[in-house]
Amino acid sequence: MTYWRARSNTLVLLACATLAGAVAARDPAWLDIAIAIVINALVALSVGLTFGQAGILSAAQGSFAAIGAYTTAILTVRLGWSPWLALPVAIALPAGLGHGLARLVTRLAPLAVALATLTLSAIIEIVLRSWDNLTGGYVGLAGIPSVFAGQPIAFYGLAVGMLALAVLAYENLMLSRFGRGLTTIRGDRARAIADGIAVPGLLSAAFALAAAMAGAGGWLYAHYFSYLSPGSLGTELSISVLLMMVVGGARHILGPVAGAVILGVLAQLLPAQEVQGLFYGGALIVILLVARNGLLGLVRREGTL
Amino acid sequence: MGYLAELVVRGVLLGAVYALLALPMSLTFVTVGSIDFALGAYAVLAAAVGSTVGGLAGIAAGLGAALAAAVAMAAIFAGLKRAGVEEPITISLASFGLAVAIGSLILSIWGTRAFMLHSFDDVWVMLGIRISPQSLINFAIGMLLLALVYLLLYRTGLGRMMRAAAINPLGAELSGIPVTTLQTGTFISGGLLGGIAGLLILFSAGLDFTAGLSLTLSCFGAAILLGAHGPIRAFLGGILMGVVEALSSGLASGAVSAIVPLVVIMIVLALGAVGGVRFAGDRP
Amino acid sequence: MSQGLVARDVVMRFGGVLALDGAAIEVVPGRIVGLIGRNGSGKSTMFNCITGFVRPTEGRIDLDGAPITGLPPHRVVRAGIARTFQTPRVDLRATVREAVLCGCYPLGRCGFVSAFLGLTSAVREEIRLREQADGVLRQVNLAPLGDQQIGKLAMGQVRLVEVARGIAAGARYLLLDEPAAGLTQSERNMLADAIRVVAKSGVGVLLVEHNFAFVRALCETITVLEAGRVLAVGTADEIAADHRVIESYLGSEPAALVEPA
Repeated sequence: MTYWRARSNTLVLLACATLAGAVAARDPAWLDIAIAIVINALVALSVGLTFGQAGILSAAQGSFAAIGAYTTAILTVRLGWSPWLALPVAIALPAGLGHGLARLVTRLAPLAVALATLTLSAIIEIVLRSWDNLTGGYVGLAGIPSVFAGQPIAFYGLAVGMLALAVLAYENLMLSRFGRGLTTIRGDRARAIADGIAVPGLLSAAFALAAAMAGAGGWLYAHYFSYLSPGSLGTELSISVLLMMVVGGARHILGPVAGAVILGVLAQLLPAQEVQGLFYGGALIVILLVARNGLLGLVRREGTL
Repeated sequence: MGYLAELVVRGVLLGAVYALLALPMSLTFVTVGSIDFALGAYAVLAAAVGSTVGGLAGIAAGLGAALAAAVAMAAIFAGLKRAGVEEPITISLASFGLAVAIGSLILSIWGTRAFMLHSFDDVWVMLGIRISPQSLINFAIGMLLLALVYLLLYRTGLGRMMRAAAINPLGAELSGIPVTTLQTGTFISGGLLGGIAGLLILFSAGLDFTAGLSLTLSCFGAAILLGAHGPIRAFLGGILMGVVEALSSGLASGAVSAIVPLVVIMIVLALGAVGGVRFAGDRP
Repeated sequence: MSQGLVARDVVMRFGGVLALDGAAIEVVPGRIVGLIGRNGSGKSTMFNCITGFVRPTEGRIDLDGAPITGLPPHRVVRAGIARTFQTPRVDLRATVREAVLCGCYPLGRCGFVSAFLGLTSAVREEIRLREQADGVLRQVNLAPLGDQQIGKLAMGQVRLVEVARGIAAGARYLLLDEPAAGLTQSERNMLADAIRVVAKSGVGVLLVEHNFAFVRALCETITVLEAGRVLAVGTADEIAADHRVIESYLGSEPAALVEPA
């Protein structure tokens, strides 16, 4: 059917993820890494959507993931909700916040928007660290109920399913007039306005969708690792997903996913936790200098459509 | 009332250090259009090296380290420009990568400890306000450097060329002004001023490996507070930012005091301090 | 009459400059109106005021009786006024069809959420929009070039794509910003034919142009601006014979006045 032929990214993802899952299932440590990669991929996908398509560099995606994670943690731990009931809230809250921020700053130059996201990220981190009663402060929240406890393969399937849904949504969007609109905005705002596009509205909607994706990643994190601290998701994640996006190719839908896989595998080879920043920062610089369009940019010349 | 005055004075003196970083930040912003996110990292690096080596040699070593890092950024910038990249976002992203890398480097070598030295043990009291001598020195150095930068920009040929490159890069290029060299120069000046700032903070409030990005953010706020157009505005913005931080940390507690300066930055950004999409009588 | 795009008493002041000083113009559906004048006469400012990219200091702009003065530009587009850009703003890697499809944006009814959810209504709408774009391509004779990349086209064809993109959403008025600049004679003829086809379909066309021969061949009415004011309004022959216009244009394009179309 032409419907699915046009949505090849989703199909490719499902195929590769199934294959990877079959391999990873043989060793619980590998499965652990695989799940972490899928969670990162979901957040990286959200940066890819905002920067690769809308031209907005967001340093806050890690923070949106953190909000999603803390939302579900608080609802399940403190209020006894079921994780499944908490999921829509964990997605909606970051989406609302993202939409609000975007509404405020999208008319500004790209650099200003990036800085606004950085500032928001800093604010969120402080709030999470200090609101002891709600978030557990420095100590964080423990005992978050696991989903599919003791069945990591099932959790992997769930995570891949959510990632696939996000990729499908991304593809649907790019195939619609809104996707074309985002591409136009990214290239030339005046042209977009002359096409009749209400630019701040469209950018805010895209940003909200991306924040929702990041929130979903946070939900997965919380219910797999069962423990959250202000440092788990946040600035470090925001930086590493930026790198994943750049490495894999910002303009391509699966670029950030590819980047997440590559970096997830490479990170296993790092000698220590401390040098992670050195690796990420250095790799970012090298990629920007040498292969700005990322891996998929080298392999495929044209755009995503 | 006395407490309030003390906070303001403390803020002004603290702000002088922000102003030191706001100066190169606004220079880079005006000539290149980007933000050097590694400015704070240069400062932390200078403080780390300076405190390890110690003494006057330490000061020289600290400055050297900061300059070396800035030279690395300048090389990255030149490399990007040669590869055909001019978008400020990409250049800023690269500087962000450098900032993260330097922070991690400091963490790996020195660990999580704070870098802090004391040059004076006593506190002076002027007009009923307690002032630390070090912060007076910081302020004096800040004013001196501001004067030097101002003289450079407005009284020398080099400064004229820099202003020309800022107003009209293409026109300047065509007139034979070495725009790329000048732009590279702003990054290096960031290393120098950042290094000085780091050493000054080393002798006052102290720093640790996490301070890099938050320092950059505060100084960015300083640079845009009164408009990112010139050295004097950047300097005054720094002072103002210092006062905002001193007041909020003195009058509010914990989280709120840390959030207030960030909210101020957000508001200034939202008001369009860093440019927006504008059309005038020309065809867009 | 209430039909038509009417701008009256438009004043535009910015900085210390008075760009427009009581300028006026009227465009009627199905007719082609020219707007000419020297550099600095206020043509571009007038253009921007009508299309909403700039808000006039004073004056009224009405669309079929309804005021549109000061509306944001994307609203002006949605109200039915399309514009082209003098320097074509296009993604060189996009195909002609994709570019025209972008112009169909205002025709969409399905929301953002329906789009990313991939609902049947959104998928069907996409098919509808593509059909619309193909129709427009046929209308301006661009159908054979539909899958060509814009970067590979000649300038004349690119200008045609701009026109097609402008009318893709069914705009009732089309404002063209110096579309003939830099074109060969045969490209100009092609463009003129396309503009006539568009006008015949009921669209009111406003043509801002420097090339008087081009304007003369196409426009039934011509408005001449000078220093922000209307110097003269009339048919092409009247304007060509008007000594004030000749004086104003002297040093600009004296040869163009006597050149054959």
